[in-house]
Amino acid sequence: MLARTITTLAAALLLAALAPAGAEAIGEASAFDVRTIEYTGGNFRPRESAPRRLAWEVRKRTSIDTALEPSTARLDDPTIFETPFLSWTGDAAFEPLSDAESSALAQFLSYGGFVLIDDASAEGDLGFDASIRRELSRALPDAPLAELPNDHVLFRSFYLLERPEGRIRGPDHVEAITVSDRVAVIYTRHDLGGALARDNLGNWEFAVEPDGEAQRERAIRFAVNVVMYALCLDYKDDQVHAPFIMRRRGG
Amino acid sequence: MNGTEEVAGRLVTVQSAWGVAVPGGASAALLLGLAFAVLVVLDLRGLGGKVTRERFPALAALRVVSALLVWLVAVQPTVRRDEVAEEEGRLAVLLDVSRSMEVRTPTGSRRDELETLARRWMEGTEEAPPPVFAFGATTRTSRLGEPHPARDDDTLLAAALGSAIETDPSIGAVVVASDGADRGGSAIEAATSLGIRVHTVALGEGPLRDDGIAEASIDRVAFLRRPARVRAVVRRIGAPGGPIPVRLFGGDAGDVPIAERIVEVPEDGTAEVSFEVNLSELGRALFTISIPSPAGDAVPENDRRALLTRVVRDHLRVLHVAGQPSWDQRWLRGLLERDPTMDLISFFILRSGTDMVMADASDLALIPFPTDELFSEHLGSFDVVFFQNFEYAPYAMEVHLPRIREYVERGGSFAMIGGPLSFSAAGYAETEIQRILPVEVLPRSTPASVATTSDRFRPVVARGAERHPLVMLGADPSTSADTWAALAPLQGLNVVARSLPGAHVLLTHPSDRTGSGEPSPVLAISEPGRGRSLAVMTDTTWRWGITSGGATGDASFYERFWDRALRWLARDTTLDPVRVTTDRERYGAGARMAVRGTLRDGWHAPLTLDAPARLVIVDGGERELGTVPVALDETGAFDAVMAAPEVAGGFHVRLVAERGGEAVLAEEPFVVETGGDELADPRARPDLLEELSRASEGSHFRGADRAPRLGELDATRVRTLGTELVRPLASAWALVLVMGVLGVEWILRRRWGGR
Repeated sequence: MLARTITTLAAALLLAALAPAGAEAIGEASAFDVRTIEYTGGNFRPRESAPRRLAWEVRKRTSIDTALEPSTARLDDPTIFETPFLSWTGDAAFEPLSDAESSALAQFLSYGGFVLIDDASAEGDLGFDASIRRELSRALPDAPLAELPNDHVLFRSFYLLERPEGRIRGPDHVEAITVSDRVAVIYTRHDLGGALARDNLGNWEFAVEPDGEAQRERAIRFAVNVVMYALCLDYKDDQVHAPFIMRRRGG
Repeated sequence: MNGTEEVAGRLVTVQSAWGVAVPGGASAALLLGLAFAVLVVLDLRGLGGKVTRERFPALAALRVVSALLVWLVAVQPTVRRDEVAEEEGRLAVLLDVSRSMEVRTPTGSRRDELETLARRWMEGTEEAPPPVFAFGATTRTSRLGEPHPARDDDTLLAAALGSAIETDPSIGAVVVASDGADRGGSAIEAATSLGIRVHTVALGEGPLRDDGIAEASIDRVAFLRRPARVRAVVRRIGAPGGPIPVRLFGGDAGDVPIAERIVEVPEDGTAEVSFEVNLSELGRALFTISIPSPAGDAVPENDRRALLTRVVRDHLRVLHVAGQPSWDQRWLRGLLERDPTMDLISFFILRSGTDMVMADASDLALIPFPTDELFSEHLGSFDVVFFQNFEYAPYAMEVHLPRIREYVERGGSFAMIGGPLSFSAAGYAETEIQRILPVEVLPRSTPASVATTSDRFRPVVARGAERHPLVMLGADPSTSADTWAALAPLQGLNVVARSLPGAHVLLTHPSDRTGSGEPSPVLAISEPGRGRSLAVMTDTTWRWGITSGGATGDASFYERFWDRALRWLARDTTLDPVRVTTDRERYGAGARMAVRGTLRDGWHAPLTLDAPARLVIVDGGERELGTVPVALDETGAFDAVMAAPEVAGGFHVRLVAERGGEAVLAEEPFVVETGGDELADPRARPDLLEELSRASEGSHFRGADRAPRLGELDATRVRTLGTELVRPLASAWALVLVMGVLGVEWILRRRWGGR
C-alpha cells in the first residue's frame, strides 16, 4: 500500500512539473470555469472531483486557460450568466426546477450559454434521465433533444473521435439541443465524470468498462472535445481544415 | 342603317354592322355552323331506316330547325350601331424643343427651320392665335412668336398629344413640327384613341455627318476589387467606315485615359467596344468615355458620355487569428460567422508548445498555422485582420509583422484585442505593429502585475467622444451614457503606456491612469496611412452579451457594439465624420439637387470653422460651376439645394471648409445627362411622322417650306357619340324556343319509331 501511495505521489509531482506554463487569464472572468449546477433532490455532484479533473485535463492538453477550482451555482443564481458553461450531472431523479430556475436556464441558453449534461446513473436507473428530459422540455419546449450524428464537428473539435464514451461504453451517440444554429446542450449517458474522477492522490476513483484505461483516455478526449466545441463552435468545420482532417481520417 | 344628317349644327353619321358575339368572330361561327351541319347530316342518315318515308321529311325539318336555332343562340348574332359626329375644332401647334432639334445640317439647324416655320405661321394669326405647345421631355404652353430653345433631354410625342387635348378639349386637330426622333413611342395609338387628326411637318431632312457614342453603360452596382465592365456602342453616320479610337477616363488619372481601344465602325453602322476597370474604393465611381469629334460633326455632344457606378463590397473578407480559445474569441467568431456577407478565415491556437496532448498527431484534428501563406500571399485580400489575444513570437512571425504594417498603411484594417497573450505580453512594443496601433504598448519586460489589471470596471465614454458612432449607442449622448452605465462590468485590462498622437480614445477605465496621467484607454482607434486600426484593451467584451443579458434581459449590446466597430473597420462611409451626398446619382441639365452631409471632427463633434463652409460643383477640369454656403446644425449636419450644371458630363459636388487655414474636403461624384440617349441617334425620322399623319387622317409635309398656312389645315374632329349593341337572341325567350323545338322533335321521334 505504501509503495502504491509513493508511486502515485511521484506521478502527481511529475505531472505538476510538466504542467504548461500557458497564459493565465488577466481576470477571473476570462478563465474557463466548469461550473456545476446545484439543484434540489437527487445528487448534483455524483463525481465530485470530475469538474476539477476536467479543468485540469483541458489546461494540460490544450491552450485553454481554466479555473482549477470550478464553482457551483443554482440556476436561479444571477451569477450563472458570469460564465457561459454549465455542467449538469446526477445519478438519480431530482425535484422539478422552480419557475425561476427553468426560465433562467432558457435565458442562459438563448444568450449564448452552453450546458453539458452527464448521466452518472447505474445502468437501468432512469430517474435522472426522466428528470432531465422533463426539465429540458419545460425550459425549451420548441427545441427538443435530438441524436447528434457522430460526424458532427464535436467529434473532431480537438481529438479525432469515432463515438462518445465515458466510464461505461453506453449508447453510440449523444443527444443535443440546437439553439440558433449552434449546439447549446449536449446530453451524454456515459458517466463521463466517472471516467475523469480522481482522488487527491491521483488514483482513478472508478473502473472504466469494458475497455479499461484505453477507454478512459478516449472518454477524457471526448470531454476535452466538448469544452473545445463550447469555445470554438464549428471552427473545425471551416473549409481550411477539411483536407488535413480527411487525410488523418484516411478519407 | 347607314346615313348622315345634320344635328344641332354638326354632321352625325350612323353606321350599322352585323357581327357575332362568339369568341373567334365570324370564322369561329362558320366553323361551328359546319360542325352542326355535319352532325345533322349524319343524324338524318341514321334516321332514314327507322321511320316511314311519310314521316321522315317532318322529322328532318325539325332537326334542321333545332340545329339552326342552337347554332344561332350559340354564336349570338349582334347588330352594332355607331353614331359619330364630325365637328369643327381648333387647330393646335406642337413644336419640338428636344435637343435633337439643335442638330446642324448643311442648310442650318432643325431649330432654325422650326423658328422660320413658327414665324410664318404667326402671320395672319395675331388676332386669333392658335394654342401652341412646346414639347420634348415635358409639354408646356408656348407661343409662335417667342424663341424655342431646344433643351429637352427626351422626345415624348404621345404624351404631348395627350397633354395638349387635356389642356384644351376644343382642339380638333394638331400640327406637329418636329424631326420625328420620337423616343417615347405609341404616338399613333395616342392619336387614334384621342380621335384627333394629326398633321405633321418633318424638319431636318438632309445629309448628316456624325460620329457618336450611341450607347454607354456600366453596372449600376459594382463590387470592390472586382473588375467592372464598361460597354459602349459607337455609331458613324454619313461617312465611310473606318477606325475610331475610344478612350476611357476615370479614377485619379485626371485627363489621362486609363484605357483606349480602336474600333472599326462601318458606314452608317455601329461597333461595340468594352473595357474592364478595377474598382478599389467604396462609394460612387465616375468614368468618362469619349471619341474624337470629326470635322463637320453634327452633334459633338454625343462624343462624350459620363458613367457612374456605385462600388460596394460583395463580401467582407476577415482574417480572425486568436492565440487561445476563450469566451471572447468564441463570441467574436459567433458574430462574424452569423453574417452571411462575411468571408471568414479563422485560425485559433488550440495547443501551445508546452501543452501535453497525450496523443499522436494522427489522433488530433490540429493543422499547422500557415503563417507564410496567410501573411505573405493572401494578406492583401483581407479587408480586416483581427489579432485576438495573439502572441506572434512562437510562430516565427517576426518577418510578417512589417507586412501587416504595410498592409494597413496601404488601406487595410487591423484590430488588436486584449488578453493575457496580447499587447505587452506579446512584445508588440518592439515590433512594427506598434507603428499602426493607436496606443503605445508597454515594453515586453514590464511585469505582468503592471502590464495587466484584473479588477472589474465599467468603462466610460472618453471626454469628447460622446458623439462618436462607435460608442454613441443611443439617440443622443445622454441615453448612450445610460446604456454604458447599465452594462455588465468588464474584468481585466491590458495596460498601455499612453494613447498616441492622432489616435482617438473612445472608452477609458473609470479610475486607472496611464504613466502619462491620462485615463487608461480601453478602446482606441487611429488611421495610420490609408488604413484603420482599432485596439480593445480587454478580453471580456463578451460579457456585454450573456452577462448583460442576464442582468437586464437584453443581450444584444455585444453585437451592437462590434457591428459598429466592424463597419468602421470596413470603411462604412455612413460612419465618416465628413461626408457629402446627393439625393440622386444622375440629373438632367439644371435640375434641382438636394445635397446633405455632415461636417464633424474626428470625435464626431461639429467642426468649429474660421469661415462658413460651402458646397462647390466642379467639373473634370476642376472648374467651379456653382457654389452655395452651408449652414451646419448643432450636430454638424447640413442640407442644401443646388442646381445641376447645364452641360452633360461627370461632376463632383465638393464640401469645402476652412478650419485653421486647413481645407477639409469631402466630395461625391454625379452625372448630368443632357445629351443622354436623346442625341445618341441624331437622325431625323420623317417616316414616323408620315405614318402618324396617315393613321390619323391628317396631312404630312416634308420640310418647313412645304407646310401650308395654319388656316388651310383640316381641324375637324371625329367624335364617337355612342355605340349600341343589339343581340336579338340574348333572351330567355330564345332559350325557351330552342327547348320547345327540341322537345317536340324528341317526342315525335319516340312516337314514330326513332330513338
